[in-house]
Amino acid sequence: MEKAINRQQILLQHLNPSAPSSADQNYNSALSASACLAGDSAAYQRTNAFGDDVVIVAAYRTALCKSKRGGFKDTYPDDLLAPVLRALIEKTNLNPGEVGDIVVGTVLAPGSQRASECRMAAFYAGFPETVPVRTVNRQCSSGLQAVADVAAAIKAGFYDIGIGAGLESMTTNPMAWEGSVNPRVKQMEQAQNCLLPMGVTSENVAHRFGVTRQEQDQAAVESHRKAAAATASGKFKDEIIPVTTKIVDPKTGDEKPVTISVDDGIRPNTSLSDLAKLRPVFKKDGSTTAGNSSQVSDGAGAVLLMKRSVAMLKGLPILGVFRTFAAVGVDPAIMGVGPAVAIPAAVKAAGLELDDIDLYEINEAFASQFVYCRKKLELDPKKINVNGAAMAIGHPLGATGARCVATLLHEMKRRGKDCRFGVISMCIGTGMGAAAVFERGDHTDELCNARKVETNSFLSKDAL
Amino acid sequence: MPVFKTPFNGYSVKFSPFYESRLAVATAQNFGILGNGRVHVIDLSPSSPVINELIAFDTADGVYDVAWSESHDSVLVAAIADGSIKIYDTALPPHSNPLRSLKEHAREVHGLDYNPTRRDSFLSASWDDSVKLWTLDRPGSLRTFREHAYCVYSASWNPKHADVFASASGDCTVRIWDVREPGSTMIIPGHEHEILSCDWNKYDDCLIASASVDKSIKIWDVRNYRVPVSVLNGHGYAVRKIKFSPHRRNLIVSCSYDMTVCLWDFMVEDALVGRYDHHTEFAVGVDLSVLVDGLMASTGWDELVYVWQQGMDPRA
Repeated sequence: MEKAINRQQILLQHLNPSAPSSADQNYNSALSASACLAGDSAAYQRTNAFGDDVVIVAAYRTALCKSKRGGFKDTYPDDLLAPVLRALIEKTNLNPGEVGDIVVGTVLAPGSQRASECRMAAFYAGFPETVPVRTVNRQCSSGLQAVADVAAAIKAGFYDIGIGAGLESMTTNPMAWEGSVNPRVKQMEQAQNCLLPMGVTSENVAHRFGVTRQEQDQAAVESHRKAAAATASGKFKDEIIPVTTKIVDPKTGDEKPVTISVDDGIRPNTSLSDLAKLRPVFKKDGSTTAGNSSQVSDGAGAVLLMKRSVAMLKGLPILGVFRTFAAVGVDPAIMGVGPAVAIPAAVKAAGLELDDIDLYEINEAFASQFVYCRKKLELDPKKINVNGAAMAIGHPLGATGARCVATLLHEMKRRGKDCRFGVISMCIGTGMGAAAVFERGDHTDELCNARKVETNSFLSKDAL
Repeated sequence: MPVFKTPFNGYSVKFSPFYESRLAVATAQNFGILGNGRVHVIDLSPSSPVINELIAFDTADGVYDVAWSESHDSVLVAAIADGSIKIYDTALPPHSNPLRSLKEHAREVHGLDYNPTRRDSFLSASWDDSVKLWTLDRPGSLRTFREHAYCVYSASWNPKHADVFASASGDCTVRIWDVREPGSTMIIPGHEHEILSCDWNKYDDCLIASASVDKSIKIWDVRNYRVPVSVLNGHGYAVRKIKFSPHRRNLIVSCSYDMTVCLWDFMVEDALVGRYDHHTEFAVGVDLSVLVDGLMASTGWDELVYVWQQGMDPRA
């Protein structure tokens, strides 16, 4: 590819009589190479690296800890968000004043209070007052939605650099309904189904699509096994930012300073027989248990996005390219099927087929819906949640999307060029699904002026 | 007049010195930046305005130039962008071609010229800043001429002195060489910008023309090269290739990135005698027939080869 760029450069210099001499590389005439849409029919590998691509240059998360009992049980939510925001700046040496917006996905906390906490977290992280902050709530996909919102804003030209983040402290803000429910809800089944506890929707999915208890428990065992293996091999060290905080002993009331850098919900020894002993929580003869549901957790994640041209100017490594995002609606009574609808939508929007995807992060809200989506889309289990997911690591609602971006992109980086496209997806309470497609940043060449080739009959690779 | 459509972008066209109706065309995919190449050997039919393809040779990289052998009517040499030079014999079956692949240049080979007087050797000009001298019967080059400081775009034999040639380079100089001498015998810092082509006058062995990115063509007398004999202005962009007429002393043809082919009489004040704007992309290849007075051919990135009689409309 270097050769092609050199050739292009030599020919461009022929068109640039203003440069004093040939060897002078810094030509600045109005003539320059321009991009055109060669598309799939280009004579060589698809070339789609453009300066206005939205790329991810850094993605980090905190460890995820069990709510009320885990490492962050005595940590304020803003103290979870601030370390990951600060890490983005420190690890990239970016001037924080250049960030155009910080968008935080967060679900359970009261809206205005959480917005204020996020603004404060930005100050704790070292951002100047000139950088704005806002929150976004799309339930369990809020973190991914935040990343997608930033990508869209960059595409729209609102700013060139932005941060998409996610934050949830389920210790501080348990799931609850404030005030009374409008009685009108009884007149409409779909509206009423929005009030169903998530576990009931899981039972609905298991019942309607015949997902057995055994399959669900098996998925949970796998999740713990993979997460434990990833932790043991240090894979998460790339993405986890240690958080220095305190823990209060519930009995003595003593405060102890700690640094949390490991997910504490993973049980390496989880076995099928252990899980089989657990009782269903939501339905007497049901199959959804505490063991095959996602864990209630505290945590945060943050993703730094910018235009590819800006990243290249700053010499930042390109972790991945944000390709497409899709949010869809499904029946609220079986909200867990969301990924089965959202993934094909996002993959199609990227001009790809499911077979093109090399890696998936599909949120395990419940084993029932996770297993259903995997089977429905006929995905290769070896490509999904290779480092475990929410059943083992935890599911802090608003943070999960950002957590998945960090996990997915770091895993894609480890896997190298064989792993080109990755997908993140999750179901969303009240009946929705969201998915996004990411591409490795170094997977495309920079030349993009190929003409459309009508037929490939002229391509004789073995010609002498 | 006849037109031939090439699947790739045209890079060079040359009339056969043996058959008045035969031409060779060098083409490269994706404007020569990436992809395959193909050499076409085409024949004008005497009656109808159709050009027939006699044979074509595929290459793994773009073809930037071709040169017909002056000694064998079926042999031609091709300059390949991967740095190799390939020799083809159109009389041989396809599986015997290429006859030979000469790989010495480190970068793209951009220009070839077959020795018209000695008829046994040819020159290659390459983007690796060197010019090499070859004969058909040897597997390696005879000489490498390495003085230019940037890409050498073309080399041209003197029509009278069998050992003298000139080279045009992006280092803004034309150099004159004698293959019996170790180094260049003359350096003409002819232009302020890259020089893309040079050619000797076919009637006056002291006159040489240079074409440059500065849009001009300059005619030099090598006995006194402080001042050009003539400066031809009129092209709107870099002049890519020039060629003296084999039939008229003062006539010169040029093609340019401004998509036109121009005819000049460098001895008169109003030098531009003809302008052809038939190409719709960069015109990068032009030639004049040695055998038929006034027969011209041109090719360009619009994937078309035009052959026409001087004074006529190529598209007519």
